Amino acid sequence: MTISRRDLLKLSGGALAVGAGAQVLELGRPTPAAAQTPKRGGTFRLRSHVAPVHFDPHQTIAFATMIPLSLAYSRLVKVKAGSAVVPGTQPIEGDLAESWERQGDTVYVFKLRKGVRWQPKPPVNGRELTAEDVRYTYDRFLNAKGNPNRFVLEMVDKVEVLDKYTVKFTLREPNAWFLDRLASTSTWIVAKECVDQFGDLKSPDSVVGSGPWMLQRYEPNVRLTFVRNPNYYIPGLPYVDNVDIALSQDPAAGFAAFLAGAFDFGPEYGMVIRRSDLDIAKARVKNLGTRDYIVVFGGFTAMKLDQDPFKDVRVRRAVAMADNWREVLETNAWSLGKGAPNPLIPAAFRDWTIPIDQLPSEGRRLYESTSADARKLLAEAGHPNGIKVPMETTPGYGPDWMDAVQVALKNWKAAGIDVDMKLKEYGAFVSSSLLGKFDRMMLTLRGGTTDPDTYFTLMLPGEPLNSSGVNDPKLTEMVKQQRRIFDEKKRRDLVFDIQRYASQQVYYAFGASVSAVAAWMPYVKNFGPNIGHDYGGRLMGAWLDK
Amino acid sequence: MKKYVLRRLLVAIPSLLIASLIVFTLPRLLPGDVVQLMLEEKAYGKDLEELRAKMGLNRPIYIQYWEWLGKIGRGDLGESLWTRRPVVEELLRRLPVSLELGLLALFFSILIALPIGVLAAVRQDTLSDYVARSLAILGLSVPGFWIATLVVLLPAIWWGWSPPIQFTEFAKDKWAHFSQFLIPAFILGIASAAAIMRLTRAMLLEVLRQDYVRTAWAKGLRESIVVAKHSLKNAIIPVITVMGIQIAQILGGTVIFEQIFGLPGMGRFLFDAINQRDYPVIQGVNLIIVSVVVMMNLLVDAMYAFLDPRIRY
Repeated sequence: MTISRRDLLKLSGGALAVGAGAQVLELGRPTPAAAQTPKRGGTFRLRSHVAPVHFDPHQTIAFATMIPLSLAYSRLVKVKAGSAVVPGTQPIEGDLAESWERQGDTVYVFKLRKGVRWQPKPPVNGRELTAEDVRYTYDRFLNAKGNPNRFVLEMVDKVEVLDKYTVKFTLREPNAWFLDRLASTSTWIVAKECVDQFGDLKSPDSVVGSGPWMLQRYEPNVRLTFVRNPNYYIPGLPYVDNVDIALSQDPAAGFAAFLAGAFDFGPEYGMVIRRSDLDIAKARVKNLGTRDYIVVFGGFTAMKLDQDPFKDVRVRRAVAMADNWREVLETNAWSLGKGAPNPLIPAAFRDWTIPIDQLPSEGRRLYESTSADARKLLAEAGHPNGIKVPMETTPGYGPDWMDAVQVALKNWKAAGIDVDMKLKEYGAFVSSSLLGKFDRMMLTLRGGTTDPDTYFTLMLPGEPLNSSGVNDPKLTEMVKQQRRIFDEKKRRDLVFDIQRYASQQVYYAFGASVSAVAAWMPYVKNFGPNIGHDYGGRLMGAWLDK
Repeated sequence: MKKYVLRRLLVAIPSLLIASLIVFTLPRLLPGDVVQLMLEEKAYGKDLEELRAKMGLNRPIYIQYWEWLGKIGRGDLGESLWTRRPVVEELLRRLPVSLELGLLALFFSILIALPIGVLAAVRQDTLSDYVARSLAILGLSVPGFWIATLVVLLPAIWWGWSPPIQFTEFAKDKWAHFSQFLIPAFILGIASAAAIMRLTRAMLLEVLRQDYVRTAWAKGLRESIVVAKHSLKNAIIPVITVMGIQIAQILGGTVIFEQIFGLPGMGRFLFDAINQRDYPVIQGVNLIIVSVVVMMNLLVDAMYAFLDPRIRY
């Protein structure tokens, strides 16, 4: 749920996430929009501002690694992609799995597509992908020393091969989010031969998957070059022959290159451009494709619940009320005022986030109040002269983040909350403050994952990221209960109830998320953005019409 | 001469030792700890102490320094803490890019500075002099990275053109390779050119007022002979000294310029290493930069004898 330095800090101070891809009319095959004939050939040119840490998906959570891997690997199930998919929704469809069945509450049996072949590269050399590969992958995923993504599938007890094309997952306890977790961009199916030959999967030579493109060349700090996988299991896909990801760090140079036509997609993470650059881009590129969507990332304030003054819910509410989310959005170059306030589940998850107007009155007040209201509430709580508290944050999230922090400080001060800010170096911050080692108050970012359930872990006792120290049996039971509900509507009702309850307790105060602008050249067809790192999925069904 | 070069090389040893001590200790004084950063990635070790021991960072700093010096003596700059790749190997790949940028910047710097400096001196207090001096002040006062950003961004906004920001190898396309250095090298050379131009003008003015130059004028020699043959050669010696110092400035400037123009040189390598607190890389890159500066200054000193036959070593 939190974001590593590599995942986020280098996002030009930002809070962005994206996804998307290709219209889907049948399982696994993104299909073109009506009245458009797909064209084969060409090269997608993208920019990434940060190089992959390495290429082992079981040894890092870095988005810079997962993005290139999304082009080269497949997984059992994936998030649908295409211009018809609404950003912020995450519909699941089969990838290597042709079908699956839930047996009882804790057993899932997946039938694999027959005849899927690994990419024709050594040491795997295009052999058939079987259930044994799936078992090997998830054994490694769950048992590889130090896999920071392990939490994604921590509910899995065992993985068994039933036959060459059938694999069975047994969970420790029911979890209705299991398929969403399997569709995460860290669950790529990897080949045993590569691990055996290279020792791990960190080398670019070890990137042999079954995805739509093959990693042809990695020039460190320069570019990643992919070519079409001739063995890809969906005949005819991908439409585009090559993908070239330029590694260029300077944001101004990246935007200039985009204007000059050197890139086909917005140059920032998630294929977006800053809203402050939008008018220039539209003036320079006629018929530029754009789409707004709310990103997952957003700030939040943790408060030590066992320490004064935060034992008093009125003080916590005052902190949340004084945090002027509108001003934060107005001062951000990505959003220029456009964005959304976040309840417990980020607003980006449009199916799972509760609309603010459906919160109870105490919850709604958090988003509608002014500093004066907050000051009044503080006085009611016995602090007529305000409070003075230490607060920790990190400048590591970049300059845009620090701008937002300054806005928060100003508004808190106006409400009588005099914050003594302590800036910590990012490495120290994530290994201490983020894990709850701070004095009374902490301001940070969340938004690294794309399934709503992981955002509840902030509220569960024993979870390392429960930095406020929440221990509310009622809330814990509600969170666990929703994981056991497979009926989506009923689960949503409970997820909404959890958010209502959380908005009354204010164990954390949640900031807003920006509305980013995804952009692509007019000749790019059948592309749609979404949250998440799955560039491969959303590029696979797109094509170039030059 | 040989004796002089040998003596200078011997003098360079303590300079390099002091520099090595600085480049070894200063990165460790930066706030933040590489072990904490690596632990955050979670794949490198179980806890801080285990990881610190694994990387040999739990020993006293003087022992770590001594070991590092020993390795340098064997031509080994250690391994990157993050990638475990030998620093020497990484540097060999990147050094040519930075050298190419730095040398080209120096070339542009001289190409701009000397003619304008001479013109400003010869035409003292004329319009050309005022223009040249104003340009020099501008070149000194405007940050190079700001000019670079404008040069990249404005043509893209106005005409949809931008300088290349993707590196092309020499073997792949010679002209594309060379041309991608032209703009960054030119901008990088501007600030340096401003300083050299001002010094050239000042030194030449001083020489032009000397008796032997007046004699040359009285003999009726042509202006080009008086300036180029009799004056410039004497005026240029301090300028050459300053050029030696400018080399250090240019090498420092490559860090930002390689970021902006996407050149995979040492500067970008150093920038990433500082962000990641990758001590062996920071030490290695800085040591190479210090060594290059020391050697270039040695070369500059050696040039004195060539420029002024009166100088004997």
